[in-house]
Amino acid sequence: MQEKSLGYRIGRVLIFLVLFILAVSFVYPILFMFINSLKTLKEYYYSPFTLPDLSNLQWSNFGNMISQFKILGLLKNSFIVSFFTVVGLIGLGTLASYAFAKIKFPGSRGLYLAFLVTLFVPAQVTMIPMYINFAKIGLVNNWLGVVIANWAMFLPETIMLMTANFKGIPDEIIEAATIDGCGFFGRLWNVVIPMGWPAISLTIIFFFINSWNDLFTPMIMLKSMDKRTVMVALNSLVGQFTGNPPYQFAGLVLAALPALLVYIFLQKSIVNGMSMGAIK
Amino acid sequence: MSKKGAFGALSPQELKKAKIAYLCVLPALLVLVLVRAYPIIVVFLKSFTNWDGLFANDFVGLDNYKLLFGSGMFWNLFRNNMYLLLSVPLQVIIGLIVAVLLYEHVPGWKAFRAIYYVPQIISLVILGYLFKTMFGLEGPLNQVLRSAGLENLAVDWLLNRETALPVMVFCVTWYSIGWQTIVILGGMSSIDTSVFEAARLDGANFWQRTFKIVLPMIVSIITYCVVMAVIWTFTSLFPLIYSMTDGGPGFETMTLDYFIYNKAFQRGNQLGYACSASVVLLIIVLIITAIEMRISDAAEEKWG
Repeated sequence: MQEKSLGYRIGRVLIFLVLFILAVSFVYPILFMFINSLKTLKEYYYSPFTLPDLSNLQWSNFGNMISQFKILGLLKNSFIVSFFTVVGLIGLGTLASYAFAKIKFPGSRGLYLAFLVTLFVPAQVTMIPMYINFAKIGLVNNWLGVVIANWAMFLPETIMLMTANFKGIPDEIIEAATIDGCGFFGRLWNVVIPMGWPAISLTIIFFFINSWNDLFTPMIMLKSMDKRTVMVALNSLVGQFTGNPPYQFAGLVLAALPALLVYIFLQKSIVNGMSMGAIK
Repeated sequence: MSKKGAFGALSPQELKKAKIAYLCVLPALLVLVLVRAYPIIVVFLKSFTNWDGLFANDFVGLDNYKLLFGSGMFWNLFRNNMYLLLSVPLQVIIGLIVAVLLYEHVPGWKAFRAIYYVPQIISLVILGYLFKTMFGLEGPLNQVLRSAGLENLAVDWLLNRETALPVMVFCVTWYSIGWQTIVILGGMSSIDTSVFEAARLDGANFWQRTFKIVLPMIVSIITYCVVMAVIWTFTSLFPLIYSMTDGGPGFETMTLDYFIYNKAFQRGNQLGYACSASVVLLIIVLIITAIEMRISDAAEEKWG
């Protein structure tokens, strides 16, 4: 084995240091939010940069978010919207992508391109007619309205991701399943979903986080306080607790936590999926 | 070939398959047509009316467009959009540098890569409110400035146009570096490692490897990153603007997409006017996309 030169090793150490400093700069603002959510107001104004008094951590800030701001109900609303968004994406996406990837039919290429083109249409452009139409059929102030709007926003990327992945499933396996007596849905359930799982799981994770974090659609569509998602309600949070940053931070931390937890546990597949450059 | 001809050429079995395929695609197609495609037609038609969603719905010709461009509003919004685009070169260049450093695979590089992506996991609304506090009059940044004796620099950063836009550029850049890094690194990882190893064995140093091998090979991924960032800046900053400045002071930090929300939903109900802004936004995004396709085709031809 060739001995590495001193210059090479110093270079590696320098690279490590630069990367480390960068990592700190990305984590610090989030840590800042968390640290200050555990302080009293007095501690915060004394210095937002010190650690909180460890013997007197203000977990009650979080308790207040639950009792005074009813944040658990808001988190539940967000969860309902994100959950049904993902369920529908998987259903609609798997069916359409299976057709695009595995069935030859006239117009398939044109349809596929038409699906992808809607990717470039900003949400704001289609929101006004959508809102007016949804209002007519009772989908405004209704979780289903947000869920359907989310399907429309996320389907192009979902189908792009799944179609690319399903193309890799060998035709022979699908045929073998047919010979074994699998009907259409049997083939989907027993072959396509297990073998396309990398794309499907990435869709679940990625669009759960996306719909959890979204503001624009739920803000326009959900009017009443008891229907709002947590991101929509943050405006009231900040308004209600002006002058009390630790309270605000506690609420922001709770709103960010579910998506962060998903990322912490599943970051490997997210980062790998992103590396394929498939989604933004 | 006409549609009928295409179907006529199919055997009964193929026809059955095609029917199944159409049934598979139909649900997704319905959602996209009803929620995304049909509204575009409506937006276009209504942009020539004084529609308010309730009573007024009269054809007014080009009045909305005349107002948008003639009042100088469009140029103000567009200037703000352009200002925020300053973040694009910053995030792509920094993202590229970070990706190049990560590509050296020093110990812990995978953990670093995962950490850089963390901002992308947090909602821009949350980050916006966090930044708003950070850059507020009594915020941490001003506390530091005051204790450093720079009292006169401690302004309310988000209430002045001269400071609000640069602060937003900073925030957008900070938020986006992780995405850029990961996508660029993904593109670099698809480089044939044997070429790279051969160059390393031939004694090519870090700089030669980077500029002679890596960069030419990732031109198309860089193009993709730039265009996605440009489109994203035009269309997705809503939550950040909403939480940090609400487009203010006045219209000083308002962008074209935020203006649609402002006119249609926030103040008043000038839906027709907002539709004209929507048409303009859509055209801008389509132009950017078309340029992207041109460039990446050219890059494909030149560098394969």
